[in-house]
Amino acid sequence: MSKNKKIFFQILLVFGVLGFLGILTNNLIINLTRTGIGFNFNWLTKPASFSLAEHPLPYSPSDSYAWALFMGWMNSLKVIISSLVLASCIGTLIGFLRVGKNSFFRIITAGYITVIRQTPLLIQLMCWYFVGFLSIRNNSFLNLSNVVNISNKGIELFGLNLSSEFSALLFGLSIFSSAFIAEVIRGGIQSVPVGQWEAFRSLGISEKQGFIKIIIPQALPAFIPGLTSQYLNLAKNSTLAIAIGYADIYAINDTIINQTGRAVECFIILLCSFLILNLSITKVMGIIDKSIMKTRI
Amino acid sequence: MKPILTAKNLTKSYAKGILALNKVSFTLDQGKVLVVMGPSGSGKSTLIRTINGLETFDKGELNVLGIKIRADSDERKIQKIRRRVGMVFQQFNLFPHLSILENITLAPIQVQKRNKKEAEEYGMYLLCQMGIESHAKKYPGQLSGGEQQRVAIARSLALKPELLLFDEPTSALDPERINEVLDAMRRLADQGMTMIVVTHEIKFAKEVSDQVLFIDSGKILEISSPEVFFSNASHERSRKFLNQIN
Amino acid sequence: MNNINPNLNTNLFKKIKNSLLAKSKYNFCNFIFFLISISLILKILTSIFINSNWEVVTSNLNLYAFGSFPIDQQWRPTLWFFSLLSITFITVYGPKWKWLRKNLIFGWIGTVPLGIYLLSGGLGLNPVMTRHWGGLTLTILITSCSILFSLPIGILLALCRRSSIFLIQKSSSFYIDVMRAVPLISVLFFGQLLIPLFLPVGLEIDRVWRAVIAFTFFVSAYIAEDIKGGLQSIPKNQIEAAKSLGLNKYQINIYILIPQALRVALPAITNQLIGLFQNTSLMAILGLMELLGVSRSILANPEFIGQYIEVYIWLASVYWLFCTIMAFVSKKLEQKMTINKGY
Repeated sequence: MSKNKKIFFQILLVFGVLGFLGILTNNLIINLTRTGIGFNFNWLTKPASFSLAEHPLPYSPSDSYAWALFMGWMNSLKVIISSLVLASCIGTLIGFLRVGKNSFFRIITAGYITVIRQTPLLIQLMCWYFVGFLSIRNNSFLNLSNVVNISNKGIELFGLNLSSEFSALLFGLSIFSSAFIAEVIRGGIQSVPVGQWEAFRSLGISEKQGFIKIIIPQALPAFIPGLTSQYLNLAKNSTLAIAIGYADIYAINDTIINQTGRAVECFIILLCSFLILNLSITKVMGIIDKSIMKTRI
Repeated sequence: MKPILTAKNLTKSYAKGILALNKVSFTLDQGKVLVVMGPSGSGKSTLIRTINGLETFDKGELNVLGIKIRADSDERKIQKIRRRVGMVFQQFNLFPHLSILENITLAPIQVQKRNKKEAEEYGMYLLCQMGIESHAKKYPGQLSGGEQQRVAIARSLALKPELLLFDEPTSALDPERINEVLDAMRRLADQGMTMIVVTHEIKFAKEVSDQVLFIDSGKILEISSPEVFFSNASHERSRKFLNQIN
Repeated sequence: MNNINPNLNTNLFKKIKNSLLAKSKYNFCNFIFFLISISLILKILTSIFINSNWEVVTSNLNLYAFGSFPIDQQWRPTLWFFSLLSITFITVYGPKWKWLRKNLIFGWIGTVPLGIYLLSGGLGLNPVMTRHWGGLTLTILITSCSILFSLPIGILLALCRRSSIFLIQKSSSFYIDVMRAVPLISVLFFGQLLIPLFLPVGLEIDRVWRAVIAFTFFVSAYIAEDIKGGLQSIPKNQIEAAKSLGLNKYQINIYILIPQALRVALPAITNQLIGLFQNTSLMAILGLMELLGVSRSILANPEFIGQYIEVYIWLASVYWLFCTIMAFVSKKLEQKMTINKGY
C-alpha cells in the first residue's frame, strides 16, 4: 500500500474507532446518569464502614475507602510473596525429583503433577479451606508446643498468627503453582545437552557435584521465561481469595462495588493495580535474568 | 535479439558506507543464460534478488520485461514483475503443509486466476518433465533434496515465466543429487528459457551459459563469454577465484 | 542389566523388584518410602470408599449433569453430549477418508449452534430459559462457545499485531498486554457488571452470554500470543518464496502463514482450551450454576451439609477426567497432523 493510502486508511480507522467508542461512551453515560451514579473518585475519602478480618496495619471501619484498598494491597502482597517462595521451593524440589535417577520418585512426581494441573485451582482452594482447615474441628491437627500449632483457626508459627483463610490460600496457591513450576524446571534441565552429563561423568565427577556445578548453571537461563509466566499466573490466581473469604485487593474491590455501586472507577483501580503488579514482577525477573546472563561468557 | 533485462548503475549500500552493489550494469537478451559467479559475500545473491524485488536498491535503474524499476518504486510494480519472473532458492523453500501438487498450483490459481483443473493438468505436465510425477500427492518432507528442488523449479515454471532466476540452486544438495537438478536446468536452457544462475558449478557454466558475470565486493569485474572467462580471464581476481574453486 | 524386554509388564515388575530388593542403602530408603505411600494410599482409599456417604453424589447426578433443566426435556442435552462424543471419537479413530478429514472442522464448529438450539429451544422445541441451564451442560456450553469465538478473534489479533499500520499494531498489542496482565476473575466480574452499562437502554444480554463474551475477550488475547509464537517459527524463506510467486500479503497470510502457525500453536491452543474448561468454575463465584455452582448449592442443602470431602473429590475427578480426555485427543490430533504433513 502506498504511503498516502496508508495514512488515509489510518485516518478512516481512527474515525471509525472513535465513532464506535463514542457510541459506547454515550450509552455508558446515559446508563450511569440513569442510575444516578456518575463518575468521580471523591468517594475514596469517605469512611469504608465495613470491617476486615485481616489487616497487616491498623484499620477500622471509620477509615477511608482508600485505606481499605491499601489494606487489600498489603494482604495481596503478603499472600503472593509467601506463595511465590513456597511454590518455588516445592516446585524446584519436585522438578529435580522428576528428572532424577530414582524411578520411584519420578513416577510419584509425575502423578502429582498430572493430578494438580488437571484439577481447577478453585476446587483445590476449596478443598484446602473446607476439607482441610475448617474440618479440623476442635482439636489441633499438629501441636508442637509454642513452635507450630495447626488448627481450624489457622497456623501459629513461631508466634506468628496466620489465619485459616491465609493458610488455605497459601497452601492451595503454592501446591498448584508448584506443579507448573516443576514442569518449567524439568524443561530447563532437559534443555541442557546430554553431552554435558556424559562429559562430567566421564571425568569422574559425582552426580551431585555435576548436577550442582555443571547442569544447573546451564539450565538457569532456560528457567527464567517459564518462571516469569508462572509467577505472573500466581499473582493473578491470588484473586481467587474471594472464594474463601480472604480480603485481598480484588475482594475489597468487590465489597466496595457492592456498597457504592462504583463499578467503572473500581474497575480502573483494579486494572492499574494489576498492571503495576505485572510490571514489577516482570522487571524483577528481568533483573535476575540479566544477572544470570552476566556470569556467562 | 530483444533485451529482457537491463540494469543501469544499480547501487545498494548498507550502514557504514559498505556497498553491497556498486554501480552494477549489464544487459540480458531473450533466450540467453547468464551465470553469475563470485566469492562469498560478493553481492551475487543481492544482485539476483533485486531483480524480483526481494531486495531494494538505493540508486540506479532496472528495466525488467519492459517494466521500469527505480529505488523508490511501488510494491505494486514489483508485483507485476513477480508474476512474470520465477525464482528458485538455495533452500528450496517449498510450503511444508501443502502437497507437491498444491505447492505448484497455489500461485497459478491465486495469482493468475486460472481454474483448478487447468492448473493441476499443467502442474502434472511439469512434474513429468522434471521426472517426479509419482510424488504429486506427497508432502515436501517426504522427498529428497534433489526432488524438492525439482519441485521448486516446477513451481516457478507453473506461472509460465519469461525469466527464471536461480540463487545457488545446488549448493544445499548432496553431491549425488546435484546432477539431477543441473540436468533439469540444462533442458530448460535448451528449450530457450532466459535464465540468470548464481552458481559455483563450473562444468554447468561452461556448457550451458552464454555469458559469465564475475562480481566481487559489489562491483562487476568482468562480463565475458564462457570460453574467454574460463580459459583466459582478464581480471586478476577472476583468475584467483577460478583457481580456488577448481 | 540391559533387558530389552518387549513385554512391558515383566519389565515393570523387574523394575519394581530391582528397586525393592537391591542391597544398597539407596534402595532400602526407596523401599521404606514405598511402604509408607502404600499405607497412606490405602488409608485414603478406605476413608473414601468405606467411611463416606456417597449418596450426595449418586442422588444428585441429574443436577450435576443438567442443572435445573426440565426433566422431560433432558433428552436434549443428552443428545448434544452424544453428538460431541461421536465427533470426538471420529476425530481420533475415524477412517482416513479425505472428505471426512476436510469437513471434520465444520462438524466441530457445528456442535456449537446445535448445542445452543437444543438447549434454548424454539423452532419446534420447548423454549428453556438460560437460568435452567446448569451443571456439566453449562460448563461445556460456555467452554465451546468461548473457544469458538476466541479462535478467529485471536488469529485476527495476532495478524493485527504484525500490521504495518501503526494504529492497528499498537492498539492490538495494547489489548493483548492488558488482557494478559489482569486476573480472569476480574474480567468475568466486570463482564457481568459493565457489559450492560455499555448497551443501549432496553437491550439486555443474558448472564450466560455475558460470561461467554468475557471469556472470549480474555482467551482471545492468550490465543493471539500463541499464534504469534507459531507465526514467528515459520522461516522467513517461506514468505520470500511466496512473494516470488507473486502472492500478495493477504494471500500469503491465508494460504501459507496461518495454516502453519495454527499447526505449530496447536499444543498451546489445546492448553488454553483445557485451562478454559477449568476456569469455567470461576463462574460459580459469580452466581452461575455450572459444575461447581451446582455442587455448592447441593452442599447448602441441609440434607447434605458438611459432606465436603465426597463432593469435592467427585468434582475434582470429573474435571480431571475431562481434562485428561482433552489432553489425549489433542495428542492424537498432533500425531495425525505430523503424519499427514510429513514433518
